[in-house]
Amino acid sequence: MSNERGASEQTFFDDPALDRAFGVVMALATEVYVLRDRLRAMEGLLDKAGVVSTDALDAPPSDAATQASEADRQAFVAGLMEPLLGRQASKGASGEADYG
Amino acid sequence: MDERGFVAAQAFILDTKKYWSTAVVSSLKSEYRRRVRSTGHEPQSAADVHSLIGDTTLYRYYAWLERHLQRLKYSGRYGLVPYHRERADALLAPLEQAADDSRLELDPDLVLPKYFAAVDIHQHPGSVWGEPIAGLVYERGARSTTPMMGSRHRDLHQRFTDLVNEGGACKHLLDMGCGFGKSTKPFYESLPEAEIEAIDLATPCLKLACHDAVQAQAQNVRFRQMNAYETDYEAGSFDLVTSTMLLHELPPKEINRLFDEAHRVLAPGGRMVHLDFHLLPDAFAQFLHYGHGRRNNEPFMQPWAEIDVAELLAQKGFRNVSVEPFAEADGVDVTDNPSWRFPWTVIAAEKA
Repeated sequence: MSNERGASEQTFFDDPALDRAFGVVMALATEVYVLRDRLRAMEGLLDKAGVVSTDALDAPPSDAATQASEADRQAFVAGLMEPLLGRQASKGASGEADYG
Repeated sequence: MDERGFVAAQAFILDTKKYWSTAVVSSLKSEYRRRVRSTGHEPQSAADVHSLIGDTTLYRYYAWLERHLQRLKYSGRYGLVPYHRERADALLAPLEQAADDSRLELDPDLVLPKYFAAVDIHQHPGSVWGEPIAGLVYERGARSTTPMMGSRHRDLHQRFTDLVNEGGACKHLLDMGCGFGKSTKPFYESLPEAEIEAIDLATPCLKLACHDAVQAQAQNVRFRQMNAYETDYEAGSFDLVTSTMLLHELPPKEINRLFDEAHRVLAPGGRMVHLDFHLLPDAFAQFLHYGHGRRNNEPFMQPWAEIDVAELLAQKGFRNVSVEPFAEADGVDVTDNPSWRFPWTVIAAEKA
C-alpha cells in the first residue's frame, strides 16, 4: 500500500493486520508511559504541598481496601477480555456479505 | 503537546530502542548461532542469513521495532516533527537572526539532486531539507541515533577529529556534507588557525550550523550551500578533506564523483579522511546492516558497503589508502559487539 508521500508500507508479518495492530499497541504503551510520568509528577507536587503523602500512596492497601476494589477490578478484567470470546451482543446479519 | 509529555514519550521510545539494541539483538544472535550450529555450515552472504532466520517470529519483531520505533520518534503523536512544528516560530527566531551572518552562504539557485530529494531519509517526514524546522528536528533526532552511547554521542565526533588531527594540523579544511555542523564543530574548535569550509545541500541544517558557530564565536569557519561532488573551489585549495556519515547517503555514481572532486580540490600531499559505515565483518553483520538501510530509508547503505573502496581509491591515484574499523567509544568490540552498533569505518588516503 502506498501513502500520500508515495512510499510503500513495510510489513514484517505474514498478515499485515499484525503489523498495524502492533503499531496500535506501541502507541498505547507510549500513552500509558506519558500518563504514568505525569501521575508521578503530580504526586510529587502534591506531596511537596502537603496534600498527599507519597509514602501513604506507595504503602500496600489494607485487606478491606483490596476487597472494596474487587468488583471494580473484575469488571475491568471482564471488559478487557470479553472480545476474545467472540460473543455477539446483538442479533443481526451474517459477517459475510452476499453479493450474489 | 506539553513539554513533559514530549520528554516522557521520547524517553520511553529511546528506552524501548535500548531494549531492542541489547535484549532483542542478543536473542536474535543466539537464535542465529543455534541455527548455524544445527545446519553445520557458516552462511556466506546476507541472503544465506535471511534464509536461516528471516522467517522467525523473533526476527520479524526485531525488524518491526527497528522500523516503527524510528517512525514513532519522528512522526508519532509525540514525535520530533509535530513537536517542532507546534513551536516553529519561537524555535526558528534565533536561527533567522544568525542567517545574515557572513559565516553563512546559501545558494537559492541550487537544484537538489534527484536521489537526495526522492527519499525521506531516516524516516524524517520531508527529510532534512523540506521545511525550516528540519535542521532542528535532525539535530534532536541525532542525539539518540546511537542509543547505547547516550550523551557520549558527541564523543564520537571528537574522537574522529582527534584521530584526524593526529595526522598533523591542517591549514585549509573542507568538511563535506556537514549537516547541522556537528562534525565541523570539533574541527573549528581544535584548529583555531585553520580556515574551514563546511558544505551541505540542506538550507535548514546550514542555518543551524551557522547559528551554533556564531554562538561559539568561531572565526575560522564558513558554511556554504553546495554539492560535495561539484564544488566551486579551485583545484588544490585544501590540505584536508573530511566527511562524517556522508558517503552512505550517496548512490555509487555520486560517490565516484565525490572522490574525484576530493582529489581535485586537494593539494598534492593533501589528505582525505572519511568516517562512515562500511566494514562488515561477517554475513550476519551484512544482513542486519542492509536491513537497517531499508528500514531507516537509506537505500544507498548497501551499495556503498559493497564497494571495494580501497581498490577504487587506488584506481583514482590516491596513495597510502587505509580502510580501518573505528571504535566510536571505549570498550566496543568492532568485530562482534554484544549490542547493536553501526559498522564505523575510517577511510583515509593521500593525494600523490
